[in-house]
Parts: sequence; structure tokens; C-alpha cells
Amino acid sequence: MSAGPYGALLDAVRGVRWPAARRVMGATLGAHPSQLRGNSSEFSEFRPYRQGDDPRRLDWRLLARSDRAYVRLTTDRATLRTSMLVDASASMAFPTPAHDKWRLARELAIALAAVAHSEADPVGLAIAGAESLVFTPRARRSVLLEMIRALDATTPSGTRALAPLITSARASRLVVITDLLGDFDELLAAARLRIAARGEVIVIHVIADEELDPPPGSLLAVDPEQTAMRRILDGPMRTEYRASFTRWIDNTAAALRGAGVRYIRAQTSEPAPHVVRRIADGTPRRGG
Amino acid sequence: MTFLAPWALAIAGSGATAMVLLHLVAQHRPAAFFLPTTRFIPDTRTVVSRAATRPRDLVLLALRVLLILAAGAAFARPVLVPTRGAMARIILLDRSSSVASTDEVLARVRAVTVTAAPSTIIAFDSVPALVLPSALDSIHSAGHPTAPGSMSAALIAARRAAVLLADRADSVQLFVVSPLAISEFDSATLRIRAGWPGSIRIERVALRANVDSGWRLERPLPMDDPLGPASRQIGSVRGARVTRLVRQPPIATDSAYARSGGTVVWWDSASASRPTPDGLSADGRVIVAALGRRVVAARGRVRARWSDGTVAAVDTPVGAGCIREVGVALPATGDLALHAPFQDVARTLLAPCGTSQGDAAADSVVIARLSGTGGQAAPADRLRAAEDRPSPLAPWLLAFAILLAIAELMVRARTEPKPA
Repeated sequence: MSAGPYGALLDAVRGVRWPAARRVMGATLGAHPSQLRGNSSEFSEFRPYRQGDDPRRLDWRLLARSDRAYVRLTTDRATLRTSMLVDASASMAFPTPAHDKWRLARELAIALAAVAHSEADPVGLAIAGAESLVFTPRARRSVLLEMIRALDATTPSGTRALAPLITSARASRLVVITDLLGDFDELLAAARLRIAARGEVIVIHVIADEELDPPPGSLLAVDPEQTAMRRILDGPMRTEYRASFTRWIDNTAAALRGAGVRYIRAQTSEPAPHVVRRIADGTPRRGG
Repeated sequence: MTFLAPWALAIAGSGATAMVLLHLVAQHRPAAFFLPTTRFIPDTRTVVSRAATRPRDLVLLALRVLLILAAGAAFARPVLVPTRGAMARIILLDRSSSVASTDEVLARVRAVTVTAAPSTIIAFDSVPALVLPSALDSIHSAGHPTAPGSMSAALIAARRAAVLLADRADSVQLFVVSPLAISEFDSATLRIRAGWPGSIRIERVALRANVDSGWRLERPLPMDDPLGPASRQIGSVRGARVTRLVRQPPIATDSAYARSGGTVVWWDSASASRPTPDGLSADGRVIVAALGRRVVAARGRVRARWSDGTVAAVDTPVGAGCIREVGVALPATGDLALHAPFQDVARTLLAPCGTSQGDAAADSVVIARLSGTGGQAAPADRLRAAEDRPSPLAPWLLAFAILLAIAELMVRARTEPKPA
């Protein structure tokens, strides 16, 4: 497999473990603790036999030595179906021409997929842009390369709702990489439903440094998704803009956390491996 | 070229200046910058203003300034070849019987008309008439005037003439060349004069001498005679012309007296019909009283008329003199004889033929009120008929329209164009 320009990124996240937030339901042997206890070789404990237990799980040697019937319990490990939902709307193509938000979103998607794939988890991808693209989670070796190709071939444009893709995602762990400038209310509602169904939802809020601190001087700001929205950003407006934008970020984070969503804020100035480690370690930084 | 409404030019100049200042305020739209978080910028405006040292959009500015100036010039009513003068004059020339010397009147009029200002001459006695300056001599050749003057009629004629002159001059000056005899004024004169929006320049000429002292009655009348009180003011100069008053139809001796140059007045004042309220006019003097009529044959010069035009007194020339028949009967009782207006009429009817009752000059208060104060000529815009006078709202409306046009530019500049 050739990762192309993502080689350094994949090297940086090699060895990172990304455990599931809770025991997973799954029969396929994997790296995450399963809710099922079965016949694996990883001994956990003995328990007195109860009517209805499978007689094959009796510890016959113990029964022979002590004449007591005990069942041998083991800890099962299972895979976790993980899917990346990447927002490819026009607002992600910022700032021009570097498109740092889209670059960071791609790197995060690929790095997290690589981490998950390294633990034998099936990984999938959904790109929400002018043209949607959905890969169902798979565990085969080429899936990462297919994701890289799909993401590289995508140019952020248009407007696409994320909520339907959240609802239809066939994965237990869903990572949404977005700037949250689209259908936030619908996204929040869909995330609530998914969490209620014991799913795990992680929202990575991609913010460009230029959004927090726009270039100096008088600018005619144009919303790339609603070109009719044009407003002057100059000295007096800048302070009000910053205050309004920061207040919105805080409110958005509070709303997502209140719904049980794990909220991660990622700025374009922060390297993607750092963000990945924050996610994997479960130690959020700066509001994450 | 002149402008009849220069205020419009001033307003247009102000508007053009404001337009230049607006073009100095450079309103520009900064370069577009795609910012996904545009929604967090307060929605106030989409252009940025700053003061510039050079006006922007020079071609557009030139077009707008020219538009305003052209509109202002149009409203200013330009006149390429002005026919309008600064001043015009109306001269009221008195040719009534109150004037002592027509030559003096004409000399005064010529002195007034010697200047370059166009003059309209109105000669008046009881009736005003327009006189061409070149035809002034015709007044002189018409002989001595006999009709009484009416200042009211003259002022009305002047007011009418001023309406026409107002289109050709900025102001109109009114001259009155007259002795200003009291008989030329009536109760309406000063009210009519109040309609003239300026002062009147008075050129006063000599009043015709009072002829009462130039004649006398042959025999003084007793005071119990109805004509007695009137006869008290008749002179008694010896050698002056003499009037013989007879109560019966003239006889041969009376005719001989008249033929020799005397005046015989046949006035049977006591006879006749029952007096009824009636009006009598004699030589410009009018009374309304209970009077009786007696038929008089109109064979000579009418000396007095009743209010319906019927002849009340007539002079019939006889030789060098004349016989006057008066058909006015006076009431036997009452105080009519004591009233001054009646006494004036009575003296007129007793005066020798060929003379008119003398007159007195109007007092100084009346003349001062006629002249007015300030000495200004009447402005033309106040002389025009009310419906022809431009409304004072016009300049304000024009200024308001220009302000609206400028406001429209500002609003349009601030309005964000719809994206394609």
C-alpha cells in the first residue's frame, strides 16, 4: 500500500491505540472489550454453575478435584465498526487557496481511520459535499488507500446536510469532521438518536485560524455557501465579529456535550497527529 | 442674457456643490473575501466611505452637475434678449376742471417722461384715457377742461395698466400730476389707493382759482329763502360778473339782460311737485335729498342732471350771455339748505354761464395718505394678477426636489446590489 503524501502522517500515528468508549457488541474477534463473555482464551473468573449455562463451559478439572461445578468465564474482545463522516461543503474550502480546513479534515479522517484499522476495526467513510460518497466500514487492507483516493479526489463545494448521513451510517463509532456551519440543529438531533442507540459520536470541529482572526483591513466578507450574504468586516466590526463567533463556538460545544457527543475542537494550526492523540487518549485540550 | 428667477440658479449652484462634495466622499466596496463565518458579522453596510482629495467618477460627476445646472437654468427662466426694464412709469395726468393751467400739467409730465424709463400716460377727468406720449399736445388743443376729476377712476386705470407693465419691468412707479382738488376725491379713493403696492409720487400743479369771488347775485337773498344760506358764501365784488335770479319765467328785460352778457337763472325753487328722495349732479357735485322735479327743456348746455339722467338744469345762450333754467324744487321745510353739499350744488347752479364752481385743495393728511411713505416703486410681482403670480412655494419645491435627487444617490450608493 502506498500512502503517498500521507506517509509521514501515518508514521506519526503508528502505535496509537484508540479504545472504544464502552464495551462493544460484536462477535468478530477484535481489540475492544466486548459485552459478550465466551470461549476466548483470556481467562477472567469462575462462577458457580447455574441452570441454563452451557455445560461445555464447565471447568471439568475443577469439578473433578473439588466436586463443585464452576463455569469458566473469559473476556471476549471484538471489533468496532468505525466510520468517518467528512464535511466537504464549500465552507471547508477555506482559506483560499490553501484550503487548510479541508486539509486538516482529510488528515484527521485518514489518521483516525488508520488508527482504527490498525486495531482490525472495519472503517468506513462518508463524504458530504456537492456529490456524496459513502464507503461502508470494511476491514480489508486496501480500505485505507481507497479512502485516501476518495478524499484526494474531492474538492469541497456546495452545501450538503450531514444529519441524514449520521442517521444512515452503519457504524458503532462515528466521527464527524465538520465546521458545524451547516445543519447544526438537525445534526444534533441525529446525534442524540445515535447515542440513545448506544452508538458513539465524536464531532471534530474544524476551525481555521483565519476565522478566529481574519486578515487586517477592510474586507467584504462573502459566505461561500450563501453568496448573497455579504458584509463589511473592518475595524469596528471586527471586535463584534470575534465576540459573536467565540460565543457561538462555546454554545455549540455546550450543546453537543449536553447531548452526549464527544466534542473535539481542532484548529488548522494544530498538526493532525496531535488532534488524533487527543482523541485517542481521551484527554481533550482547549475545550475538547 | 438675464434670468427672471435667479433664485433657481442659486439653488442649482448649491445642489451642484453638494454633488461635488458627495463625489469627494469615496464610497468603495472592498475586495471580496470568502469567509465561511460571515454570518457572525453584524449586518450593517457593504460599502466603506472615506474622504478623497479628488472626486471620483469624473464623467458621472460632470453629467450630474450639468443636469442640476441645466434644470436650475431652466427654472430660472432665462431671457436671451431682455425686453424687461428695471423701472416703468405710469403718469396720471389731470385734465379735469380743477386744473388751473393745462400747460403746467403738460410741462410737468414732460419733465417726468424725459428719462429713459418707459412711461404710460393716463389722462383723467371723470373718465381715464390712455394717451400716447407723442399725443400729449392733443390735450392742450382740446381746450379748457370742464369735466370734474375722479382720482378713484384714475387710480383704478393705473392699477390695470400696471398689470400689463409688470411683465416688462421689475417695478412700476406711479406719478400723479394734479392739483389734488378735494372734489377729485371720494370715499373710495383712499381704499383704492391702498391697492397700489408702493408709494405714489405727487407732482402738484396749481388749482384752478375759486371763481366764487368772481361773481355775485344781482340782489342778495334773504336768509329764509332756501337758497339764502348758499348765497352767503357768494362774493360781492363790485364789477364782477352778476347773476340775476328770477322766480318766474324770464321776461323781455331779462332776455335783454342776458343778451348784454349777463346770466339769468330761472329757478322757481318753491313750486312744483311733492319732493321725493332723488339724486342731483351738477358740475361734479352730487347730493341726495328730498327734491322735486320740474321739467326742463334740454335746448342748450346741460348744467345739472338727475340721477336717472334727466336734465335738471340747462344753459341756453342768449346773445353774449345766457338764461339758465333750473328744474329743481326744494322742500318748504327741513334743513336741506343748511347742508354744505346742497350749498355747493346751489352755488354751482347760480354761477354765471361759462364758469364752473371753484374748488379747494385736498388737505395735507389726504395727500399724505395718497402719496404713501418710503418713496418706493411698486414691485412687479405684486402688481400681477394673483393667479399669474408664481407661488412662493415654487423655490422651496425645487430645492426639495434637488435634495430628494441627492438623497436618492446616497441611498442608491448604500444599497447593496443583488448578486447575480
